[in-house]
Amino acid sequence: MRFSVFQLSRIGGRAMNEDRMGYCYTHESGLFVLADGMGGHPEGEVAAQIVLDTVSALYHKEAKPRVGNPAEFLAGAVLAAHYRIIRHALQKGMLDTPRTTLVAAVVQGASATWVHCGDSRLYLVRDGELLLRTRDHSFLEQEQERAGLKEFEPVNRNILYTCLGSPTKPSLGIAGPFALRQGDKLMLCSDGLWGSLSDAQIVGQLSAQSVAKAVPTLVDSALLAGGEHGDNVTVLAMEWETPDAFAPTRQKPADGAMESSFASTLDAGGLDAEADDLDDAMIERSIAEINAAIRRSAAKKT
Amino acid sequence: MSKVKPSSLPPDTMIGGYRVERKLSAGGFGVVYLAVDSEGQQFAIKEYLPSSLATRAAGELLPQVLPEKLSLYRLGLKSFFEEGRSLAQISHGSVVSVLNFFRENETVYMVMNYLEGGTLQDYIITARDLKKTKVFRESTIRSLFDEILRGLRIVHQHKMLHLDIKPANIFITDDNRAVMIDFGAAREVLSKEGNFIRPMYTPGFAAPEMYRRDSSMGPWTDIYAIGACIYASMQGYPPNDAPQRIEKDRLSLALSRLRGVYSDNLIEVVQWCMALDPLARPQSVFALQKELSRESARRYTKLTVSERVRLQFDSVVSDTKKTARKASVLGTRFK
Repeated sequence: MRFSVFQLSRIGGRAMNEDRMGYCYTHESGLFVLADGMGGHPEGEVAAQIVLDTVSALYHKEAKPRVGNPAEFLAGAVLAAHYRIIRHALQKGMLDTPRTTLVAAVVQGASATWVHCGDSRLYLVRDGELLLRTRDHSFLEQEQERAGLKEFEPVNRNILYTCLGSPTKPSLGIAGPFALRQGDKLMLCSDGLWGSLSDAQIVGQLSAQSVAKAVPTLVDSALLAGGEHGDNVTVLAMEWETPDAFAPTRQKPADGAMESSFASTLDAGGLDAEADDLDDAMIERSIAEINAAIRRSAAKKT
Repeated sequence: MSKVKPSSLPPDTMIGGYRVERKLSAGGFGVVYLAVDSEGQQFAIKEYLPSSLATRAAGELLPQVLPEKLSLYRLGLKSFFEEGRSLAQISHGSVVSVLNFFRENETVYMVMNYLEGGTLQDYIITARDLKKTKVFRESTIRSLFDEILRGLRIVHQHKMLHLDIKPANIFITDDNRAVMIDFGAAREVLSKEGNFIRPMYTPGFAAPEMYRRDSSMGPWTDIYAIGACIYASMQGYPPNDAPQRIEKDRLSLALSRLRGVYSDNLIEVVQWCMALDPLARPQSVFALQKELSRESARRYTKLTVSERVRLQFDSVVSDTKKTARKASVLGTRFK
């Protein structure tokens, strides 16, 4: 299993960054999480952090080296995080609970399974096309879906009907396992990104470049479009590279957000632990890959 | 070593549409040729041909791999691919670029741009033979290594370590660019099968953790080598190798000879980079770049009388040893 991953979070025009993100992996499985603490309620950033801490801690406990059933794992871990947020509010005697959205994906055995709650999104891009993305738990997207309309009367996109931390039990959107192909790109983002950029822009950038280039480009354009009072923008994207070896080929530490506890286990399990012989097909494929990379780099230069 | 090296391809051999002009160099992992394409453009082509695993009789094209070495040979091939893959992603003026990759003669070839110029080693040797107080001017050293560090930073961002930075692997082109070449050692980080790749290091430039071959290698390992290269650019000779330094460290003494010639800040930078304890060095290229680009007023502290006396005394003692050790050759790679 091999993938490359890149994550970036920027505060935008806000007083604080309430977005949190991170990933971790074993040599057979990877977890990607992003949470966007909600304004209008206290301590959004705390709620987001609790989600990351809880989900990653449970992942570390269960991924040995894979989690048994990714869908069950995600549902369980997210609910655990939800209850921890409520416990946190009770312990502190808060009048209102902190709230957060969430999107998280587990990738293992060459397929991806994800969960989302609220309006943080997951995009899956293949061959320059948007293969699928999550539907926000907002009244806006719910209406659109029901009516089957592409465009709709402006409804406030910020009103969500579910999130983590609210007194009502969250409803989770779980999907997968979805088989990945080499070159597929999986992107998690907060509404700071998709609120400023169209899906077409997002997909265009994401498929045109490596994640290490696309993510900063996307974040920058969202910040620019967001303007002076723009929202926090957080993006975590992964490109699925080859199905046989597992370790990121490039990565960058989290920007501020939770580097120590979660960011990445740089060498989890040996790289290419089994010294499998290269057969002719693999040699040819490696050469083709390298030449593709050379062409990409050359294209970037010009 | 004991075995005969596989012979290199003779001039005018055609490989992958390129015509071999001559052999440029040969190392443990293969041979580098100067070759031209059909339009007459020159390239450097690296052939995967590990001398310890494969043989090739003179005049033959196909290497012979001993059956019992086949799996190691293939493993090495994988590393060769890793080097290609990593270099292919890096597009930076200070890092040698890979232009093509192909398979022929039952092995693989990596096509790189051919650089004209000389290595930093050539320049250092020329400069030191002029017998001036300074080998290079401080501003030259600062701008040269600033360029190298920019490239190295990108390399580290791609999760690679060079692991064999030395003046012989820093190329200064005729159009005045500094380019890091030979990422042949870089692969070692990626393949942990220590039994395959022998410890390869260049005494004087290899950090102490390179000798231990443990997991403590990191960006700071390359940074040690950068410090040693700066040292060589100031002193004209490579520093003592790490085992010698562990036994008796004469680095600060040697550096104190340069006080007044180079600024205190530059001397401190070298000392910082070359700390024996990996944790005491700059932990990232960025940290080093920041320090090196500090162009605030340079202080030059002259030696005191007592220090000068001590220096003289020391050189009397060490001169006798030095004759036994022979004049230092910059960058001989041990295998």
